[in-house]
Amino acid sequence: MPHPSFQPLSRGAGLLTLTDGRFKTARLTAALLLPLAEETAGEYAILPYLLRRSCEAYPDFTALKRRLNELYGARITAEVTRLGECQALVLHAVSIDDRFALHGEEVAAACAALLSGMLFRPALENGVFPDGALDVEKRCLIEQIESEINEKRLYARHRCESLLCEGEPYAVDRFGTVDEVRALTPSSVTAAWKRALSAAQIRLIVQGGAPLSQAGEAFRAGLSTLGERVPASCETQVVRRADAVRERVERMDVGQAKLVLGLRAGTAEPDEGVPAMRLMNALLGGTPHSLLFRNVREKLSLCYYCQSGYDRLKGVLLIDSGVEERSADRAKEEILRQLDAVRAGDFTDEDLESARRSVVNQFRSVGDRQAAAASWYLGQSLAPALSTPEEAAEAIGAVTREQVAAAAQGVTLGAAYLLAGKEAQ
Amino acid sequence: MAAWEEICGQRTGEQVFRLRHPSGLTILVNPKPGYRSSYAVFAARYGSIDTAFRTDGGAQETVVPAGIAHYLEHKLFESEDGDAFSRYAKTGASANAFTSFDRTAYLFSCTERFSESLEILLDFVQHPYFTEETVRKEQGIIGQEIRMCEDNPGRRVLFNLLGALYKNHPVRIDIAGTVESIAQITPELLYGCYRAFYNLNNMALAVSGGVTPEEVLAAADRLLKPADGRRVERAVADEPAEAAQARVECRMPVASPLFYLGFKDHLPDGRCRTAEELAAADVLLEILAGQASPLYARLMEQGLINPSFGAEYFEGPGYAAWLFGGESADPDAVAEAVHAEIERLRREGISPADFEAARNALYGRLVAALNSVESCGDILIGDVFYGREPFALVDAAAALSPRAVERMLRENLQRPQAALSVVFPAEKPAE
Repeated sequence: MPHPSFQPLSRGAGLLTLTDGRFKTARLTAALLLPLAEETAGEYAILPYLLRRSCEAYPDFTALKRRLNELYGARITAEVTRLGECQALVLHAVSIDDRFALHGEEVAAACAALLSGMLFRPALENGVFPDGALDVEKRCLIEQIESEINEKRLYARHRCESLLCEGEPYAVDRFGTVDEVRALTPSSVTAAWKRALSAAQIRLIVQGGAPLSQAGEAFRAGLSTLGERVPASCETQVVRRADAVRERVERMDVGQAKLVLGLRAGTAEPDEGVPAMRLMNALLGGTPHSLLFRNVREKLSLCYYCQSGYDRLKGVLLIDSGVEERSADRAKEEILRQLDAVRAGDFTDEDLESARRSVVNQFRSVGDRQAAAASWYLGQSLAPALSTPEEAAEAIGAVTREQVAAAAQGVTLGAAYLLAGKEAQ
Repeated sequence: MAAWEEICGQRTGEQVFRLRHPSGLTILVNPKPGYRSSYAVFAARYGSIDTAFRTDGGAQETVVPAGIAHYLEHKLFESEDGDAFSRYAKTGASANAFTSFDRTAYLFSCTERFSESLEILLDFVQHPYFTEETVRKEQGIIGQEIRMCEDNPGRRVLFNLLGALYKNHPVRIDIAGTVESIAQITPELLYGCYRAFYNLNNMALAVSGGVTPEEVLAAADRLLKPADGRRVERAVADEPAEAAQARVECRMPVASPLFYLGFKDHLPDGRCRTAEELAAADVLLEILAGQASPLYARLMEQGLINPSFGAEYFEGPGYAAWLFGGESADPDAVAEAVHAEIERLRREGISPADFEAARNALYGRLVAALNSVESCGDILIGDVFYGREPFALVDAAAALSPRAVERMLRENLQRPQAALSVVFPAEKPAE
């Protein structure tokens, strides 16, 4: 995998280039990073969806989509994601590499121009986003927020995070609330767009084989129209220890219960202990040969899945499983017993080496996937220095078993959430 | 000595080496120079639809409980001395498996020690080991999986639709089976199905990534034993051309209604679609209901759909359907609008510019899919099982004619073939 080249563009804005001829596509990722806050979550969340609808050259969504189809099904998609306590508004553009165009078109450059147009020169009417477009996107965003309950596993995870981090920005929904979105107007959204362009940390990631300077140029030109920017700092507040365990049971008409445990990891970026915590997470519940999978699922047949995940930016560990309600207590006990075992160093060298190989394999395959590489570097947007997947793999290689046990000793349980069925008690 | 046949994509230059191994297994290797990772998938032409079959040309049809292919997938990971996951743990490969309607696939991806992982894959899939006790234990885990699927409204709305479209074909039953059907599974049944379907003549191996055909062949030579001449035939379900019922609905905890409108597609001889026909179907769906279509713009404007709306062509042995699905406050209105748009297109025809844009879009998406070793391996297995040349769809899309799309529109998507499935919201969650 090529080494990334990073170029500061202006205050708080940077361009990361990954030149790589192996892929059949060019990929651009444009991200605005802003502090996640209750007051602004909804008005910022709608922006990427609104922006990907139009640009001055193609004010109509259908005409724009038609143009993208002509450009060999190029996709420009919107995403709102969370990086620690930072809300990331992202536009992704993926198009085929010019060498596969059937009639020699310059597809990637055309896509870069469209993306830059969407971000910096959307189609406005009388200086604001048009009513019709805003109404459609408000409705779609509200439906997206409301449909979270359709995916019970994700829903349960979010509920547990909110329980664990109540009162912290981390608990704010990255899409805002239905009421906030409903209250948005053309002028409030237009003001939010201008504020976001001025206050955000801005990152562009360019990936592809052909010379990619045009993409950077289109973006630089857009930035130069903004005037003096005042980028906000996006800090994430890390709580090292949980003082009490918050418990909640929620009932819904479901056949399978979801048990989610929320834990404070005690370690977060940029701590030196992050690689040890990543390895600890893999050992405990990050792989199909992890302690949780082997014991809670395979040995005791208590659940269909039992996994742990580590958010290294916030220092939060989530362990979730799908269980029968009557087995939930036993599953919880067993999960905590496995965590205790890691704390006590009670795991084999083979367990540790398996986890290590698995994490290293995962990091080393990042470079073969354009989307994974983009998200690898997007996740480091606010880091003081960039680490390549190869460097991260080496850091995992150097972690000792004592460091893994010590990492587990710093973990404290802060929340236990259960989504359970209606009738069973 | 069998020799590799080299196949090269006209447009993409993507290289595939194909071999019929002396053991009976079809092997495809897609080297991707410069890739650090490799992906291997070892698959049997055996899925959830194979609940009735005949062996060795016999007249006697064997009927087995629903969900057995999936159950077998779970159990194959176990051997007398531990499970396959713990063997892979020693090489660092990331392994998994899945069962679909028409295939069971065992796979891994890795960045080092490829040959060792490939040996593990070829070995454990060829060595079944089940006892009364291990089979019984799995019922708990799979029972949980079935419950999880039942709670998934996206899956429910699809299976309800398939149940409405199909009268007899087993595609109408959930891949995992039911809690009742899996309770009937015994070690004898598992061994019987294993012997019938996990014959190397009925299987394929596809590898994509930073590997050479020689490495793959070396492992295959070491691990594969010639299969016996046993042949298995899928039973052909007697299935009418029309949808079995026009409408099905249920209630679940969802925010707004979920729906699928499906049109049954009848291929009388049970054959699969050719690459050209598949490309034509995808282009037709893009013209009809893609995000650049007038239908999409109108429904969006009217507040009847959101970005979850999409259309796809769904196919396998003995079944195929055109699907339109998403979330909507008024699924019936969306279904009516789709019917009306199909009729309008039939009347007015497809403009050359619309065809060209949709064809470009399909071609570009197929090219983009070749970036990933995982999608390349999966596409290759499908191509083998469906009797298509490797990566044939890309070149078929590039060479597609408007006539092929018009023929698809003429011959399909009729009202008597349609069914609508809706999941309505039951209630709001309680605090």
